[in-house]
Amino acid sequence: MIEAKGLTKRYGDLVAVEDIDFSIARGEVVGFLGPNGAGKTTTMRMLTGFLPPTDGTALIAGHDIFSDPIAARRAIGYLPETPPLYPEMRVESFLAYVAKIKDVPRAERRAAVDRALARTALLDVRRQVIGTLSKGFRQRVGLAQAIVHNPPVLILDEPTAGLDPLQIREIRSLIAELTAPSQGDTQQTVILSTHILAEVDAICRRVILINQGRKVVDAPLSELTADGRTLDQIFTEHTARDAALPLEAAVAPGLGGAS
Amino acid sequence: MRHVASVAGRELRSLFVSPVAYGVLSLFSVLAGMFFILDLSWFEQALFQLQQYPEQLAEFNLNDMLLHEFYGSISVVLLFLIPGITMGLYTAEKSNGTEELLLTSPLTIWDIVLGKFVAGAIFIAALVGIVGLFAGVLFVYGDPEIGKTASGLLGLLLTGWTYVAIGGLASAITRSQIVAFLIALVALVTLLLLPGIAEFGIAGSGTGVAATLRWLSVQLHFDPLLKGLVDTADLAYFAVVIGSFLVVTKAAVESVRWR
Repeated sequence: MIEAKGLTKRYGDLVAVEDIDFSIARGEVVGFLGPNGAGKTTTMRMLTGFLPPTDGTALIAGHDIFSDPIAARRAIGYLPETPPLYPEMRVESFLAYVAKIKDVPRAERRAAVDRALARTALLDVRRQVIGTLSKGFRQRVGLAQAIVHNPPVLILDEPTAGLDPLQIREIRSLIAELTAPSQGDTQQTVILSTHILAEVDAICRRVILINQGRKVVDAPLSELTADGRTLDQIFTEHTARDAALPLEAAVAPGLGGAS
Repeated sequence: MRHVASVAGRELRSLFVSPVAYGVLSLFSVLAGMFFILDLSWFEQALFQLQQYPEQLAEFNLNDMLLHEFYGSISVVLLFLIPGITMGLYTAEKSNGTEELLLTSPLTIWDIVLGKFVAGAIFIAALVGIVGLFAGVLFVYGDPEIGKTASGLLGLLLTGWTYVAIGGLASAITRSQIVAFLIALVALVTLLLLPGIAEFGIAGSGTGVAATLRWLSVQLHFDPLLKGLVDTADLAYFAVVIGSFLVVTKAAVESVRWR
């Protein structure tokens, strides 16, 4: 569903992402891990077509992001780090607009919006102005705009950043629902970035870990933790070494090894 | 180009849920009304004084002595108002984070640029409509030439659209609304001063540079329309200027991808 081939992004001499390859099959939920500044957001922006890679390319649902960008983007639901929202619009009309620009046919738009509202539990605030919503609700609207056109691929950049524990749990269960769909919905392939390891444990079945722009781990979660190590230890092992951090400082429980 | 209307529609709706549109519309109506009354009383006074000179009185008419002045004043009002309308066109997308939504949706950059221009153009058409109402009053009490009245309105419309194209570019090259407003204002005032610069400036009058500067000024092409002369050369000027600014705006919007 998602195929990254040698994705590279350089800014002058600075290498943000270097030669990242991976292939994600339909229905997989992949945690995209790495310390802050490792290149997670840059990689996701390249996958979504927001940033062109300096080198390499990617296939989204079989469409090359360079030669067939419109079809590739149609197949993607994307939640950037800050949810893209128009504060002056109402939830419902915002989602209708997104459905429109994502090429949902006119006849199906109403239903698409209703379904997205229902799946993100936003039915009660559908008439509210987005600017008046709390942060948790806004994050949900962000998620709703990503799924409104029922895309086969979901790219979520830190979907739980800045939320309280209850909201984090809600968002997580929502993502879990999206990947195990009820009838009629597309089974979504999800790639989600985070530096919260508990999140990966909770929803992902596979981990891609990047550090300083390079892929360092790509394996199923079960395989990684088979020898009794925790995700924490794995994360620290692969990131602290390069960052030359004292090991003790980086193993603080639940902390994603600040760079 | 399938989504020009979607983008334009959203832009207009956002304009009308915020106080900006109403503020501009009411401010504009008040200013237009004041200019209309001033020009009208000046016209009456002149008419009264000219009673003793029948030859000059014969030359005196509503179009050349009243509407010409009135439309001229309105074009200056537009120069100051339009930067206020266009300043948020692109800067708001950047501060909302919706730039990322637009650029990762199956839209082309032209959909975005043309959509925003069309929204601005429709708003200007509403303003010119208000001007048309004032001119319409004259038809009730006198008989101005309909052709001249209409070509003057066309001139205002094209001038306004040119200002929208310029203001749009200003908004696309910065992140701050205030900066966008100031850039647009300075650019438009410069455009207004071009004939003066051509006459007295360093270029020296009569040279090719001076002629070019004069040709570039909106005034030179707006005046014939005020006088009722609809020349394709003038219409072409507006088309070329609007088109060029839209092309540069498109490049400016796209440039996010090169950074």
